[in-house]
Order: sequence, then structure tokens, then C-alpha cells
Amino acid sequence: MEQRLATSLIMTVNEKKFIESALLSDIRVDGRRPFDYRTLTITFGSEDGSSEVQLGQTQVIGFVTSQLVQPYIDRPNEGSFAIYTEFSPMADPSFETGRPTEFAIELGRIVDRGLRESRAIDTESLCVIAGKLVWSIRIDLHIIDNGGNLVDAANIAALAALSTFRRPECTFGGEDGQQLIIHPPDVMEPLPLIIHHFPIAVTFGFIGKENIVVIDPTHYEESVIGGSMTATLNTNGDICAIQKAGGDGVPQSVIMQCLRIASVKAADITTKIKNAVESYNTQRSLRKIKRHDPSPVVICGDHDDDVAKHHMERLNLGSDESNDMEIGRKLNENDKMDKRHSIAKGSGGGPASWDPYSRGVDADALRASLGSRVATPPAIYKEESRQVKPNETKSSKQSSLHEVTKIELETSQPKSLKDAVKPKHKRRNKSTSNAFAH
Amino acid sequence: MEVKHSSSSPSSFIDQLVVPGDVILDLSSMSNQTIKLGGGLRQDGDSISVMKAGQLRFTKPNKYWVESSHKRYVPSAGDNVLGVVVDTKPENFLVDIKGPALAFLPVLAFEGGTRRNIPKFEVGTLLYVRVVNANTGMNPELSCMDANGKAGEYGVLKEGYMFESSTGLSRTLLSSPPCPVLEALGKKLSFEIAVGINGRFWVNASQPSTVILVGNAIQKSESLSVVQQKIYLEKLLKSIQ
Repeated sequence: MEQRLATSLIMTVNEKKFIESALLSDIRVDGRRPFDYRTLTITFGSEDGSSEVQLGQTQVIGFVTSQLVQPYIDRPNEGSFAIYTEFSPMADPSFETGRPTEFAIELGRIVDRGLRESRAIDTESLCVIAGKLVWSIRIDLHIIDNGGNLVDAANIAALAALSTFRRPECTFGGEDGQQLIIHPPDVMEPLPLIIHHFPIAVTFGFIGKENIVVIDPTHYEESVIGGSMTATLNTNGDICAIQKAGGDGVPQSVIMQCLRIASVKAADITTKIKNAVESYNTQRSLRKIKRHDPSPVVICGDHDDDVAKHHMERLNLGSDESNDMEIGRKLNENDKMDKRHSIAKGSGGGPASWDPYSRGVDADALRASLGSRVATPPAIYKEESRQVKPNETKSSKQSSLHEVTKIELETSQPKSLKDAVKPKHKRRNKSTSNAFAH
Repeated sequence: MEVKHSSSSPSSFIDQLVVPGDVILDLSSMSNQTIKLGGGLRQDGDSISVMKAGQLRFTKPNKYWVESSHKRYVPSAGDNVLGVVVDTKPENFLVDIKGPALAFLPVLAFEGGTRRNIPKFEVGTLLYVRVVNANTGMNPELSCMDANGKAGEYGVLKEGYMFESSTGLSRTLLSSPPCPVLEALGKKLSFEIAVGINGRFWVNASQPSTVILVGNAIQKSESLSVVQQKIYLEKLLKSIQ
């Protein structure tokens, strides 16, 4: 009993009276006017489909994930989505872990209804094989801090997370063309969801005997409101859903007034979300470009011999140089061959053999790096390298040789990340050539 | 009974930030001295170490304690706090003072309190009270009388609004000379304020707008430096004229 008293929000009589009396002179405790929204901040996590929304003191994190599932029988060609809410006890002492409370369910339902009934998410585009496989979208909403008006904050968090979420691209392939291939994000650019419009929830509270209307109530105001209404609208002014909670009745004229105000606020919030998403997307693409930028990497040893080898092979085969996949495949073959040799030889030490860039090497970058380095014709160069190899069998000599070549290389050109992983081939080549030498 | 600062160096720690684990005093080098330890300090054999992060304070002749700012309040005897009545029992009122446990306010702990004239407080009544007893493992005990049995300033606070703050902000509001924010606000506006060391302050004025302005100005001032406070208040007070 005592414990329960200590965990619930304790409002003094003074505060309850003051909130009402201050509203009579058109002012609220945090200095806002009755129809002012609190400051809204939307930030995004490092991963796609995660958002963090701050509405005054209120803080909500949204996270979107996807999964391939069997569709519902009555809708064989539509994907699905579901909303899960998590009320952390950290957010408010009255929140407890375990079974979701009435309010937690209500919050999930309001957000869900706004998205579902207005068909904001194009579920048909989530279909992979009609009747067999569709994408199921899961939206997790974590309440981090309760400063009042969780519904609006959670709704914005869900929309922001959905608009940055990308599901993996999947195609059919395999021998019979019936095998489903889910491409990892580094192979094929993941696809964003199709969101037709943003249904924005705007909550009003009705306080006191006069039913004074306030927008975006704080949790202090929430404990004195007689009733509340959440209207879900989009920028076009279409009403997607309305939720009226609490006992107090509201006249029709007030509802119409609320809806007019809500449509203005919905437009404001939509632009805020869109701006935030846009800046996230720009940063995202910038981050991508950065990965291909030439970055100064410490490189060990003579690797242009290896590059030359690839280059030569490519020339010999006379393949289309712009075809990345072709080169990637060839490199793979080369890789495999090298591996076989290295296993036979049992090469020891050195950098790990993990190499994510062996496939899908950018042809242009390869050509550019070759242009400056391979002065001698490839065939002759290869001969030279063969001749040099036997001398390298002793490790002490080898290291000194590495030193020399390293200095030479560093003066030549800034290295790219792909160059950094090349030495593996080199090492293996060396071991193979050593095998020939012996 | 002055502490010798020669051997150990407590003076170097005084008014400095300390963190848990810091050893601030070595008792072996200062025999025949009595020192009094306040919150956040602990004796480990011959050394006095810190238990919570904050600023180490010292007053002559021999008191040491650690001062820090929290959202929660740890009751200690003699503090003046703002409490909210959450329940009424035959012997006690249960009062929330932001502590780990509810505090007891005996129904007779009022000036001239007898069985006949027990005050009636509804749930949610705001009180300005004094902590009489605060022992670990027991609910703290409150009183609405000062040490002489007089009501003094203690009792029910009517009207107004209670704002939440950190314990650090409460302490600066209570400091003397008065904190610059209160001084600046007091020059332009007339209002009543009651500050509880437990991180609550109550403001009352004739106009609700004054209450809101004062309360928010004080809350905002916590994160500002002295110069910033001055600029902020100047701007604020100009805007209301």
C-alpha cells in the first residue's frame, strides 16, 4: 500500500487548482499558450529504421525491423506490420515491467490505427511471393521518459523510424530461377518502404469545469484533465482516426475547432519529420561515399605485383572492364586457386585471411591504381617478380625487402581500402612462387 | 581543535570535486582530534574516504561533508522540506518528501497540538515541514514546529504552485547571500517563495503569470553560469515590461 503510494505521481491540491486558474488567464505552467506545441526534436540512430523523438521532456525511441513470414490467408499478397510498445520503469515510477498496462495497449492501438486505417504504408509492395512469403514489419516503441503526451511522441517516433527503414532487396535466382535470394545491404542497396502519407496524431486535453482545451498536455496536466482527444490527420487535412478518452463530454463545435488546429499542427510536424529524414538520408549517402574514398592505410609489402597479375589476367581475357560482377567472379576464382595453394604450402603468420572486398572490386578504382604503378608491361613484370621471389625465402631478408617497397609505394599514391586488403593475395602468390622455386 | 593541514592534505580537497574512493583524510597523522563527518564520507580504519561524487565541504572547526546535486533526496535531521500529504492515519500523516520512504508527521506535532484539535489535511496538501529524525531503516519523522515548539514558518502552503528542482538548485536558492536569480527577480516582481532542501520550491503571487515566470526562470537558471543568468534575467524582465 505504502509502496504504491510512493510510486504514483503525487499532485498537490495547489498544483491542480493552479493549472486550472492559470488556464483561465490563457497561460500554462511551462509558459506555453493553450495551443502551443512543445519543442520537437527528431534524431536518428546509426542504423536504418531507428529514431529518437523528444517532445519537451517526453522521450520515445522507435525501432523498425522486418522479417519474412507467411501472409494471412485472406490477404495473400499483402505484407503486415505490428506495433509493440515497451514502457520502461525508468520513464515513470508508475510504469512496471511485465504485462502491458491498459495505457500501453491504448497507445499501441492509437498509433496502429492511424497507420493501418489510412493505409499509409503500402503493404502490397511488401509481398514477395503471393500467398507464401511477405515482409512483416515490426515497429518497437520504447518510452524512455514520460513527460506527458506519449501518444503524439510515439506516433512521430514510429513515422520517423518507418521512413528511414530499409528492407533488404530480394530477387529470384538459382538454377531453376525459383530460389529466393536475400541480398545483404553491401551487395544490393536495401529498399525503403513506400509511405503514402504521414498520419500525425495530435492530442488535446480538456481541463476543468469549463472544458478548457489544451494541446499537447504535459504529465502534470494529464493528471488533472477530465478528458482527452487524439485526432490523427495528415497534411491534406484527411482525418485518419479519432480517439476520445476520459469521461468528459465535448461539444461538436469544440471538436471541429480542435480538428482545424490539429490539421495545422499536423502540417508542421510532417515538415519537421520530412526535414529530419532528408538530412538523415544525405548523411547516409555521404557515409557511403566515404567508404570508397582513398584513405591512408598502412600497407605491408609489395602488392602491386599482385595487382598487376589481376590486371594482366583481365587484359588477357579481354572482358568488359566496366562489368564489376565479371571481375568479381574472376577474382574469386583467383582467390580459390590461391587458397588451394596456400593450404598445400601451409603459409604461416601475417594478416588474417578475412577479405570482404575480394568480390565486387571497383573496376575504375583498380584501373586508376594500376595506371600510376605499373610502368613496365605486365608480362615482363611478372617475370621479374618470379625472379625476385626465391631470394625472399628467408624471413629476415623478406622483411627488409618489405621496408624498401613500402617506402616506394607510399610516395606513389594514396591508398584505398581495397589496396589494404590485397597483401593476402600477395602472400599467397609468394608462397606459390616459392613452391615453384624450390 | 583545528585540523592540522600539515601532514595530510585535506585543504587540497576542500571545495574540490571528489569521487567515490578518494581518500581525503589520514587519521593516523592527526591524533587527538575530533572530526565530524557528514553525508558522502566514510571511515575506513584510519582513513576517511568519499562515497559519492560531489564537492567536498568543510566548516570550522571540524565538519566535513560532500555536497552534490540529485533528483532524489536523502532525509537528514534538521532539514526544512516541502512535503505532500499522501495518506492520513490515526497517529500520523504520511508525507512524501521525495525520499526513499514516506515520512511520518505525528498528528500532535503542531503548535499547541492536542488530541482535541487534530488538523484535517486532505490528500495532496502541501506542507512546509522540518525533518526531526532520519535513521536508516526507519521512516523519517517530521514536525510542524521549530525546536522551541512554535509554529514558526511551518505549516500548510495555500495556493501557488510547487515546482520540482534538484537538491543542488534548492541549496543555491537557500544560500546566503541570496542567489543572484532570486535577487534580480525580487527587485522587479513581488512573489512568495518557500524552498525545501529536498528539491522542491513553492511560488505564490497575485498573478498566475508571475508564478509561472518566476518558477521557470529559476528552473532554467540551474544550467546557466552566473554571467548567462544575468543576461537571461535582464532579457526576461525587459520582455515583461
